[in-house]
Amino acid sequence: MADALSAATNAAANAAVTAVDTATSAISSATANAAAAQGGAEALSAATSLPPTGVGLVLARISWFIVVPGVYIALGFGLAAIVVRLVKIFRSPPPPWQLAIYPEVSHPRQAALRDAFGMGQIRKQAPLFWIMLVIFHLGLLGIFLGHLDILPEISIVSESSRDMLGAGVFGLMVTIPIFYFIGRRFRSPVREVSTPGDYILLLLLLFTFLFGDLMSWGNSWTAQGFVMTKADFAQYFDGLLKFKFEDPRTYLHGTHYHFLVIHVLLAEAVLVTLPFTKVIHAFLSVPANILRRRTWNRK
Amino acid sequence: MEQEMSAQLKELFETRLNSAMRIYLDTCARCGLCIDACHVYASMPETRYSAVARAEIVRKIFKRYFKMQGKFAPWLGEVLEFDDDTMQKLYDAAYSCTGCRRCMVHCPFGIDTQAIMGIAKALLIGADKEPKILSMLSDMSITKGETIKETRADYAAALKNLEPEVLALWPKPSAKTPVVDGKAPVIPYGSKGARVLYVALSGAHSIVNPAAIMNAADESWTLSSFEAVNFGAFEGDNQRMNKIAARIIEEAKELGVEEVAIVECGTAYRVMRHMVQPGPFKVVAFVELIARYLREGRISLDNSLIDGTLTYHDPCQIGRNGGIYEEPREVIRALTPNFVELTPNRAENWCCGGGGGLVAMGENDFRMKSGKVKAQQMAGSGAKVITTACENCHTQLSELNEHYGLGMKVEFISTLAARALIKPESR
Repeated sequence: MADALSAATNAAANAAVTAVDTATSAISSATANAAAAQGGAEALSAATSLPPTGVGLVLARISWFIVVPGVYIALGFGLAAIVVRLVKIFRSPPPPWQLAIYPEVSHPRQAALRDAFGMGQIRKQAPLFWIMLVIFHLGLLGIFLGHLDILPEISIVSESSRDMLGAGVFGLMVTIPIFYFIGRRFRSPVREVSTPGDYILLLLLLFTFLFGDLMSWGNSWTAQGFVMTKADFAQYFDGLLKFKFEDPRTYLHGTHYHFLVIHVLLAEAVLVTLPFTKVIHAFLSVPANILRRRTWNRK
Repeated sequence: MEQEMSAQLKELFETRLNSAMRIYLDTCARCGLCIDACHVYASMPETRYSAVARAEIVRKIFKRYFKMQGKFAPWLGEVLEFDDDTMQKLYDAAYSCTGCRRCMVHCPFGIDTQAIMGIAKALLIGADKEPKILSMLSDMSITKGETIKETRADYAAALKNLEPEVLALWPKPSAKTPVVDGKAPVIPYGSKGARVLYVALSGAHSIVNPAAIMNAADESWTLSSFEAVNFGAFEGDNQRMNKIAARIIEEAKELGVEEVAIVECGTAYRVMRHMVQPGPFKVVAFVELIARYLREGRISLDNSLIDGTLTYHDPCQIGRNGGIYEEPREVIRALTPNFVELTPNRAENWCCGGGGGLVAMGENDFRMKSGKVKAQQMAGSGAKVITTACENCHTQLSELNEHYGLGMKVEFISTLAARALIKPESR
């Protein structure tokens, strides 16, 4: 009886072990198949990424033009136009008399810098507007540094970081205030003094920022995490910096690439129109405030 | 409007495009923070009465004729062309602005709307659409400068008639006034070697009260042949403004004075002090001179004559645009212990609504409506007397006082000071 029991137990144990082995083997097999499938898909993808033809070719060439030569054109044009505009302003004759208002300040340049960067006039009159402006301008600074940081030669955050500097926060810092600015412009009495150009500029900035946010946020909301990492962008920027004229599509993967193309296109539109819009205040705010603060005739 | 006229106006516009003007025209972000700063908007909340709306009319013309946007995408900036409608808009903008520059205090960039309105006024002159009363008054001032030699004797005779009024306030001439025909004149006129050239207005009060004060201080002074007011500045005509100022500058040089003291007139002071080429003399506002006499102990004032509390209106061209905030308050503290400030005051003070030539042009209905916020500010002070140091402000405040039934007294600082002079026998 005991022998029979022992034999039965052994048989059951063997059966269990066999079952576990079978299950393990099945899992291993499934994993291996999945891996094989993935590898196969990638291999298939690689094998089928033939040079585009027809409309695809035209779109690919347009995308390349936007993200490579377009960047040089927009930057070159924008910077040259700013320089021409500033030269025209500062080569004009000086004002015939002092334009200061009193009380007199002992250090007009410092006071002008305070006015331009502290925006005290706005803080006193419209505190919420001021908060939004401060967040917006700090966000712009962060975005500028974030884009500089993508260059391989500059490492504010590690090159191996998947995120850009600020991890998308700077993007929100400019996007949220833009919604406020648009809302404010639609309200009376600011609406009455606004021109179509004011709305278009805000919308242009809004969409540039929204597509930038997609690069920072949406780009990471995939099952595999980041589609394009800081290192990928670094490769793109390095290509631009070294005038390689290569197609960044070869290392910027996924469908987010199309958002990147739109983001770059909008940013180029901002750069090209910047010298002709009120964004020029970025360069004229300090000189304008110096006019307000500098007295020619001291008491 | 004819093409030829448009071309002329464009050319005229270009002559006004100095570096400051280009900065002002390019920088505005239309944030709207200046809107509430304008007393006209605060009294009559229509956007056209805001600094930005006024400046936008000039800016839209600028974009049309001087910017690429005007050629390729005029709809973006809603540009304006020179036509009768635009000229009317320019007129309404320029002559609803008193040039007080309060908006400049509130603007994050410090854009000078008065300076932009200078372009509007120049364009109106170019189109022969400026207020004719201002150009007529400017021309009269210039003509007076050209014919002064013929009228000098008559003016001297007229001054004699004012002597009793001066003597009633202060019983003797200044000890430093040179004797002419055995007698020192009470109102010295054309005295070479005098230290101060005092430039008055046409009203007797602007001569009588200052004469008494300067005689009491034993000042070495002489009266100018010309009135200080500069209608060229109101009109926005720089050439006329300079010609009118040049009469006084030449006279001061001829007499060899050290100081030119300008009557209580804000624009006259700002033009002479800050807007024309400086001469070999110092320019002061008369209220600065009174404060100096008090500080140096050359005059004493009776501080018991003013009944009730007194407040002070900072004239825009003397305070915010001229830098004289404390001297009037020094004089007021010597005049009364019951001084209350207007709220707001100094750089933030509300304009009276009479500047920019509006008083000279009449415009009573507009001035009374646009001065509503000023009247509320005056009433809010609880003062019985309001004093100021500007002729235009005095006229406007007096009319507001009457129109809104405020029951206040409106006085010049020099009038109060002259009345309060402690005479030698009382000392």
